[in-house]
Order: sequence, then C-alpha cells, then structure tokens
Amino acid sequence: MSLAPASDIVGTEKSRGRLLGLLLVAIPVLLVFCMIIYPIISAVVTTLWQADANGKVGFTLKTYQFFFTDGYSLSNLWLTLWITMVGAILLILICLPIALYLRFAKNRLAAYVQGLAIFPLFVPAIILSFAFIRVLGPNGAVDLLLNAAHLPKIRTPYLTPMGPLIGLVWDHIPLTVLILLAGLGSVSDASIEAARDVGAGRLRLLWHIILPRVGNSILVALSFSVLGIFSSFTIPYVLGPAAPEMMGPFMQRTFRDLYDPENAITQAVISFFFCIAFGLFYVRSVVKNQRAR
Amino acid sequence: MKRRDFIISAGAMAAGATLPKLAIAAANRIDWYTSSDQNIIDFWTNIIKPKFEAANAGVTINLVDANDSAGLQAIESRALAALGSSADPQADFFEGSDARLPAGAIDKGLYVDFTKEKLSNASKINPLAKDLPQNGPYRGSQVLLAFDTTKLSADKAPKTWADLIAWIKANPGQFIYNRPDKGGSGAGFVKRAIYEANGKDPSVFKVDNYDAATSGPMLQKGFDILKDLTPSLMGQGAYTSGNTQSIQLLSQGAATMIPAWSDQSLSAIKQGVLPDTTGLVQLSDLGFPGGFTWNTIPTNGVNKALAIKLQDFILSEEIQSAIVTELGGFPAVSWDNVSKELHDKYAALIPTSIPVFPSGAWEKAVNDGWYRNVAPNVDRSK
Repeated sequence: MSLAPASDIVGTEKSRGRLLGLLLVAIPVLLVFCMIIYPIISAVVTTLWQADANGKVGFTLKTYQFFFTDGYSLSNLWLTLWITMVGAILLILICLPIALYLRFAKNRLAAYVQGLAIFPLFVPAIILSFAFIRVLGPNGAVDLLLNAAHLPKIRTPYLTPMGPLIGLVWDHIPLTVLILLAGLGSVSDASIEAARDVGAGRLRLLWHIILPRVGNSILVALSFSVLGIFSSFTIPYVLGPAAPEMMGPFMQRTFRDLYDPENAITQAVISFFFCIAFGLFYVRSVVKNQRAR
Repeated sequence: MKRRDFIISAGAMAAGATLPKLAIAAANRIDWYTSSDQNIIDFWTNIIKPKFEAANAGVTINLVDANDSAGLQAIESRALAALGSSADPQADFFEGSDARLPAGAIDKGLYVDFTKEKLSNASKINPLAKDLPQNGPYRGSQVLLAFDTTKLSADKAPKTWADLIAWIKANPGQFIYNRPDKGGSGAGFVKRAIYEANGKDPSVFKVDNYDAATSGPMLQKGFDILKDLTPSLMGQGAYTSGNTQSIQLLSQGAATMIPAWSDQSLSAIKQGVLPDTTGLVQLSDLGFPGGFTWNTIPTNGVNKALAIKLQDFILSEEIQSAIVTELGGFPAVSWDNVSKELHDKYAALIPTSIPVFPSGAWEKAVNDGWYRNVAPNVDRSK
C-alpha cells in the first residue's frame, strides 16, 4: 500500500499548506499529549515525590522498594509476564497457519474460516468470560459432552492461570490474524511460483520466501498481543485465580479496595515500563519499514 | 468545489459535531447516579421515583446507571473538580456511594453532612447502619447460605458455624465463596470466620478501633480458619470473582452451597436463574455479617435541597417497608419503624442482630490480608 504524496491532499501552496498540515496534526498530537504523555509524567512524579512520615514531600523510592521486595506483588508480576509470553507465542503458533491458509486458499471455505477467525473481535470480553464459564467451567458444556460419552470430567481451567490464558488467546486471535494476513499480502504470487519452478518444497518456501517477508508483521503482531495481554483486565478479573493475579486486576484492587493510590500508580508505572519495551519493538519495526520504502 | 476545500469544510463540520453538547443541570431535576446492580435501578424506577415525584409536584428524578463503583467515582470526581468553582457538577445524588472516595473528598467538603441537615427520619435509623456522617444509609442486605436442596435436604443444612465447617470438610469441592473485595457474599463469609476466631463478638470491631499492631493477629486467627478450609473448597482453593459467579456455579450444579446475598438470591430464584429447589438458611449462632448501602449528596449540586429531601423520603416507613417486600433487602431504620405486619412477619426470619462489620480500615485490612494469607494457599497438584 502506498499513500499519495501529502501535497495532493493539502495543496501545493506552500504557506497555507504548511499551516493547514500543522493544524490537522495538532489535534491528535494534543490529544496524545493530554491523555497519554501528561498522565505518564504525572504518574511517575506522583510515585517519586511523596510525603514521608513527617509530612515532608521529597524524592523517595519507597513504593518501588516495597513492590520489588514484596513477594506477593512480584508473584503477580511473574504471572502476568508468564501469561503474556505464553499467550503471545501461542497466538503466533495458532494464527500463522490460519493466516497462511487464508492467504493461499482460494475456495469458499476460506471465507468461512476467515469469518470464524475474526468473530472474537465482535464479542465483548465480559460475554466471552461468562461463555467460557458455561463451556469450560465446572459442569459446563464440555463436561456434559464428556459425561454423555462416559468420559471423566475435565479439570476446569476456570479460576486457574489457564483460564485467562485461554480466554486472552481466543480474544486476540482476530487482530493477530489480520496483521499477519496484511503482512502476507506483500508476498507476491510471482515469487512463490518462481521458487516452486526451481523446485522449492513447502517448508523451504515458508522458510526462505514467506517468513523473511512477514518477519516484520510477526514482530508487530507479537508486540500488539503482548501489549493487549499485559494490560488486559476483564478476562483475568473474571476467569483468573484469586492469587496470584494479573497486574490489571491487581492495580484496580490496590486502588479501589485498599484505597492506596500511591502503590497502585507504582504498579502502573512498572507495568508501563514493561509495555514500553514491547512498544519500542513496534515503533522500531514501523520505522524500519518506512526506511525500506 | 475543489477537493481540498471539501476536505477542509467536511473536517470543520466533523470537528464541530464532536464538541461536547452544553449540558446544564435542570432545576427541579435530581440527577441521580448509582453504582448498584439492575435490581436496585428497577426498584428506584418502579417504586421510589413515582412515589417521590407524586409527593413533590414538578420534581423529577433522572436515574443514571454509573455501572459500578469506579464509574460512580468518576462522576464524583467530576463533582470534586467542580467544587469551589461555579462549574455545575450535573449530579445531585449518589446511590451506593462511600464518602471515603474519591480520596480527599470529605476534607474538601464535597459531601453533605447528614447530621447537620435535620432529616425528619434521622432518629429512626438503626444505630448499626450509621457510618460517617456523610454516608446516609437507606437499605441493607444480609448474607445467607444458598444451597441445592436436591443434594442437601433443608433439614440437614448447617445451622451453626461449626456445622458449616464440618459439612464443608465432609463434602470437599462442594463449597465456594467469592473474593472478599469482589462481592459482599464472600466478604460476609470471611468476616464471619473472623468473628468466629474472636469469640463471636461483633462489638470488638468498631469503625475507629483498628490498630495494626493488635488487630493484625485478630484477623490472622480468622485467616487461619479459612486456610484450613482451602483443601475442601471447590478446586482446592478457587474463589470466584463476584456474587454472580458464585450463583452461576450453584445454578450449574457445580457447587452445592455458597454464601449469597439475601436480596440477590431471592430475585435470582424469582427470575429462574436459581431453581425453585434452592434453599436459604442463616446461621443461628451468629448470622453472617450484612452491610448497609449508603448514599452521598454533593454540596455543590444544583438541587441539593431536593436531594436531601429525597434521602429523607427514602427513610420513610413506606419506602423502608418496600425495601423488605419488593427488594428482599432489610431496612436501614430500626425494625420498629417498618410496618407492623412486616415486623411480625420477618421477625422470625431475620435475626434481631445482623452483625455489621466496620468498613474503612478494618475492611481494607481484611481484603489485603485475605489476598496475602488465604488466596495464595492453593495446591493445584491434586
């Protein structure tokens, strides 16, 4: 996909064009500043400048010290990282074959598969969570089917770390498939046929022709799913275990039930720094992509 | 029209459309927000709103669902931000609110102090329901045990704490309660365990007597009882994330017994969410603690006087009786102040003393302590 040069849209009159361009871009920039950049700065400042026991406000790392020495907080962080990592890997493993199939299949079945893969996009997380309880929960649909076939019940993933993992992977399938599919669009039929002509097998085709072209998309898909899973709230809230809990519910609970905004914001800042690392992957690959053009 | 002119004008129009509509609170319209569930909104829509509007000609109540506490707090924060300026908070009444939130609201004087407003019904309020002077109680609910009578006949249902513990241990995997911060039914169960560990004496726990040094060990004794129960719970220590999820597990036949809110179980049975074969029982040695729901009124609301009148109105005998009959809750006024027949009818069912566990510091300590002591104690290997 290529965009038309900006001059086509804003006109070629230099002074007016520049002003208009700036005006057009000012709204999103302002929004990003007010609603994202400023809260981040304010959160970092709030956690670093706090009143001590005597009420004197000064620089302190006490909430961070507490977080990184508190076994309970750390186990929540590890669980979040574990679910994020396993979830992201599972997503690529599940979605890449689907995307490959959708890219190369030319029959009607592919349309249905695509519809099915995109379907979770239209299901709100709370509906998904309750449907999950009805299907995979104790005495849910799966248990009923197994029971009808005289098989033992499953060990339900509901209220264990597997609950949010399964729910989140399902919830993120559409976005991942769409990103990978967009990336596969850049693999031309001609190059595939050329490789086939010189005798490349399927695996060789995947490894040497397709993967190098979609590496960037995989990276983007990974960073999106990592960010989405790390910051998820509803699914781990409803399906996850009471402890350890994921950072989303943990932050909310600290803020709302323990009336402890300082520690909640500290948890948010820590989550933010983990997310920013993955965010940088995304930004880097976008920049690389643009340079390549 | 040139393309760029078209884009510019279209953009300008689109930008114009996104400007916030100027909303101004109307006189004589009480802008009411709630954090409660649908059954409460229905109760207000069908009972309180028509009655109050009939009694006060020209006044309307604008019922708005703020979804949950966090949603309500967002509206309260808006009122807090408007405080001291001439800005209009567009809010007059918060149902299911707690004046402790948003943080600092009390110090800045956001909420009306009900003790200074001379409500005509103030003297009727049950002393147990009183909290901060800014929190105006109007309804309460108690936690009961809800159970499946097809698996456990009503006459064998536990009637005391000791029976309950014995039953849970004898029937592993059949009992589940929710996390204490996520819903009051699980919280009631946790607090009942804490009472049990401290001589079954609710009077030990007061709003203002929490002290980390002495209170911590008191709570710990309760947590020890709960930790001991963990292997006998569903999933060897699974805890649902809310009242509704527990009810769902009971309705799916996965659990045999859960702690549940009285009002929620009654409406669930009425709506068929729970089958008719659901039994309800309260412990007779000491009931599960219940809780009262408070309202707050912002001092800068345009219709503050009317909102205070509304708070007084819902403490009247008529509405307080309706809370018992229509909502399945219990009144915030003493039982002498609901209709005589109701008093007689429910006297046997509802114990005269529903213990009320203090909120604030105690509640915070229970929630935090439970997550740190009881919840991680899960053995998933079995």
